[in-house]
Amino acid sequence: MSATAPTAAPGQETSPGRGSLSAETGPARAWRWLREHAVNIVAILVVIYLLVPIVVIFVFSFNNPAGRYNFTWVGFTLQHWSHPFSNSELTEAMLTSIKLALLATVVSTIIGTMMAIALVRHKFVGRRIANFLIVIPMATPEVVMGASLLSFFLILGTPALGFETLLIAHVMFCISFVVVVVRSRLIGFDRSLEEAAKDLGAGPFTTFRLITFPLILPGIFGAAMLAFALSIDDFVISNFNSGTTVTFPLYIFGAAQRGIPVEVYVVAMILFFATVLAMGFATWQQRRAERMTSIRPEQESDIVLPGIA
Amino acid sequence: MVAAIRRRVPAYFLLAPGTLWLIIFFVIPLYFMGKLSLDTEIPGTLHYHFTWEWSNYKEALELYDTQFFRSFEYAGIATVLCLVIGYPLAYVIAFKAGRWRNLMLFAVVAPFFTTYLVRTLAWETILSDESPVTEFLHTIGLAPGGHILATGFAVIAGITYNFLPFMILPLYASLERIDVRVLEASKDLYASASSTFWKVTLPLSLPGVVAGTLLTFIPAVGDYVNAEFLGGVNNRMIGNVIQSLYLTQSDYSAAAALSFVLMAVIMIVVFIYIRFAGSEALMGQEAT
Amino acid sequence: MGTSGSAKKGAGRLALALAGLAVAVGLAACGSGIEGPVEATGAKVELEKKATGNLVISNWPLYIDKKTVPNFEKATGVSVAYHEDINSNEEFFNKMQPQLSAGESGGRSIFVLADYMVAKMIKLGYLMELDHSALPEVKANLVKNLRHPPFDPERKFSVPWQSGMTGIIVNKEQAPEVHSICDLFNPKYKGKVDFLNEVRETVPLVMKCEGVDTEKATEADWLKAIEKIKTAATDGQIRRFTGNDYAQDLTNGNAIAVMGWSGDAVQLQADNPNLEWRMPTEGCMLWSEDMIIPVGAPNATAAEAFMNYVYKPEVQANIAAYVNYVTPVEGVQEVLAKTEPEIASNHLIFPSPSFIKNCSPTPALEGKEEKNVIKAFDEVLNG
Repeated sequence: MSATAPTAAPGQETSPGRGSLSAETGPARAWRWLREHAVNIVAILVVIYLLVPIVVIFVFSFNNPAGRYNFTWVGFTLQHWSHPFSNSELTEAMLTSIKLALLATVVSTIIGTMMAIALVRHKFVGRRIANFLIVIPMATPEVVMGASLLSFFLILGTPALGFETLLIAHVMFCISFVVVVVRSRLIGFDRSLEEAAKDLGAGPFTTFRLITFPLILPGIFGAAMLAFALSIDDFVISNFNSGTTVTFPLYIFGAAQRGIPVEVYVVAMILFFATVLAMGFATWQQRRAERMTSIRPEQESDIVLPGIA
Repeated sequence: MVAAIRRRVPAYFLLAPGTLWLIIFFVIPLYFMGKLSLDTEIPGTLHYHFTWEWSNYKEALELYDTQFFRSFEYAGIATVLCLVIGYPLAYVIAFKAGRWRNLMLFAVVAPFFTTYLVRTLAWETILSDESPVTEFLHTIGLAPGGHILATGFAVIAGITYNFLPFMILPLYASLERIDVRVLEASKDLYASASSTFWKVTLPLSLPGVVAGTLLTFIPAVGDYVNAEFLGGVNNRMIGNVIQSLYLTQSDYSAAAALSFVLMAVIMIVVFIYIRFAGSEALMGQEAT
Repeated sequence: MGTSGSAKKGAGRLALALAGLAVAVGLAACGSGIEGPVEATGAKVELEKKATGNLVISNWPLYIDKKTVPNFEKATGVSVAYHEDINSNEEFFNKMQPQLSAGESGGRSIFVLADYMVAKMIKLGYLMELDHSALPEVKANLVKNLRHPPFDPERKFSVPWQSGMTGIIVNKEQAPEVHSICDLFNPKYKGKVDFLNEVRETVPLVMKCEGVDTEKATEADWLKAIEKIKTAATDGQIRRFTGNDYAQDLTNGNAIAVMGWSGDAVQLQADNPNLEWRMPTEGCMLWSEDMIIPVGAPNATAAEAFMNYVYKPEVQANIAAYVNYVTPVEGVQEVLAKTEPEIASNHLIFPSPSFIKNCSPTPALEGKEEKNVIKAFDEVLNG
């Protein structure tokens, strides 16, 4: 998914313009000026569009609704920020989500990293199929994944829908993303360091431990963060396979029937700020790792790249 | 040669856990869903048996063809909207943002950091009937029915919002990789700004366009959260139908049949699209 | 890209496919799920001497006051996990069904579900037969008209939790002249009307508007009413089909007249004092929801102790005063008359026979008829 592959060679055939002889006139320059600024203005509007709901969530986390519905602005209060975990069902759901996301992250990161190493470093029969197997879940709508897993569990009759089935599902949809992120890191990897280690007499395991692993660590870290983010935010697949276990998104969906407590907005904002901090930390780590090893700088957008909602 | 064989063993070892996980919990469930879609319920028991019941497909599609087409329509419109409003932003971030670049990239991914359901609920607040936004849209004549919420417009707006980052990021990734010298060359050859864009920039960013449209379109077709929160009676999508057949109506066979058809149709659409739009874009990213 | 010969590749692919298939077949063979044999379950509560330990209850949101559970814990020493995780009868049943069919209850010991769902679960053998020796308060205080319902004539499996009326809730300011179900079809309120997503309430109410006697309604009557609802839905007259969430549409002004439940209106007035439940001129639907003990429920003794506890009039008085539905317990009105007279005289909580003279109980749907009606209604719900 991430920007890994060498792009097609720059299209030389398209560059020589046909109408290139007409010199730029005043109106043309004015037109271009306008157009360039129009693009900027559109871009700024889009940024605002992207941020508006976040501002709304932030503002409504300070609301003081009269009844149970936090939909119209009533008045300012700090009450919900000072007791964000006063709602026990919400807190329990959040803890379930965190536990689930941590486990899913650990499992999928280990499995996915192994796969990525195999795919980049080894040639073997069935590599195409393995690649296909990784891409296809990312090209399947969540509702189909959720539905097919539910069919599977319903027909098997075991394990009972609940935390275990959620974990199975979350690991399943995280693996592909982990592989993609770690693989992109491995591709931009300077093999000469490993060769050097080997020349100096290090065994394959030592080489991996001392050279390879530290170098791909930022990639693994980014992949883990992406997996965590995917897992903690997943609604659709969880909704199919949760049984009576309630995660944070599932709690919100249920609460939407009867009125979302303000604490949901507070917790959502806490999650937001926590993610921003983690992102900042990851970026800093990656920059530091890159500076220290001075390997070819990789695309910085790796960690950022597609998290599905 | 010997080295190659020696290498294979650890390769399979490394590959095994992930491959098995994906086969057991992704591939085999699809097979089970296929099987369930051909089952019949033993009346009054909620148990099923396998009977090659192809009429499940016929019945489900006859009942829910509207929602099927609607899903593709909404997802299609939302994808085009994402492209149209996402491209300028990706372009600006890639070529013009300068020191604002990281901040703008942050703005693009920021929605991901708030829970999907919560940001959709935020739109429910923003678009509710008595909100200033709705009143404004009403006065400029954009809300003909008097309300935005519970219309297709709201659902499409929600989908567009929620999947916009999927469009912008690949667009940005491919724009950012364009060698600025190529654009300068075009300028040096006296191409106008617009012909530089149409003849150089856009073709070079095509891989991003293809990846972005796929990343937006595929989840959008199957989405049901937006239709649930922002839509009304007449805006329900195939995801809503599958969800309610599975989770409230216990009509598993029909639900499985619909899911299967949905996946098949998406595969076909994607396949044709990739063929049509030039395959290097996607395959280039897949191959290593 | 794998550079091996295509024959090898094919072999690899085949091996993979075969392995996959073998696993699938193996898994399916040992399956005990929905394709497995039907196991007749059903069990009887076996009482222990004293209620102790833990008790897990699943109920609808905002369906109990804040004091009853802690008081019960204090009185008995049982520790209660009270989940408000039922938002819809079908959805909850659907979530629990795989476990119930395997004779398990997911750790829960009490569900509160509607009569028709209870009837269905009795038939499927998903419920435990109660031991009435531990339910003296129920025996003494259950109101007469709920003692012998057709689906459970001796109350062997179920004890009523609350009853209520389904009618209309309106915003007095914006929809002052909505008084009947038929008024909900008035084009003046186009796009501002929500209907319930419950087939057994919505359709009979519309039949009432059509002048059909719901207790004698034929399948054709049902389907005709559904057709009317469908037309209203496609025309944009009906905005959404909702469960509890109509309350949200009412409070933020998205809807101004809805089909709704009697107990909600009082709570809704906190958000918007203009909201009011009205008895439709055609009459309302009467329903009850019951406490049941699912098969495999741990600690059925404590579950029965809880059922018995809430049937004490002074306990039930707290619940009634909070939820504002029709209480199934005798003697509550007398208790409330002393403590909260305005509630004791509220005709939504203690409806007089003349107030509900046009109301009818939720009609039973059976067999093929049920299937067809539900299918037709689901199609409308799914737009």
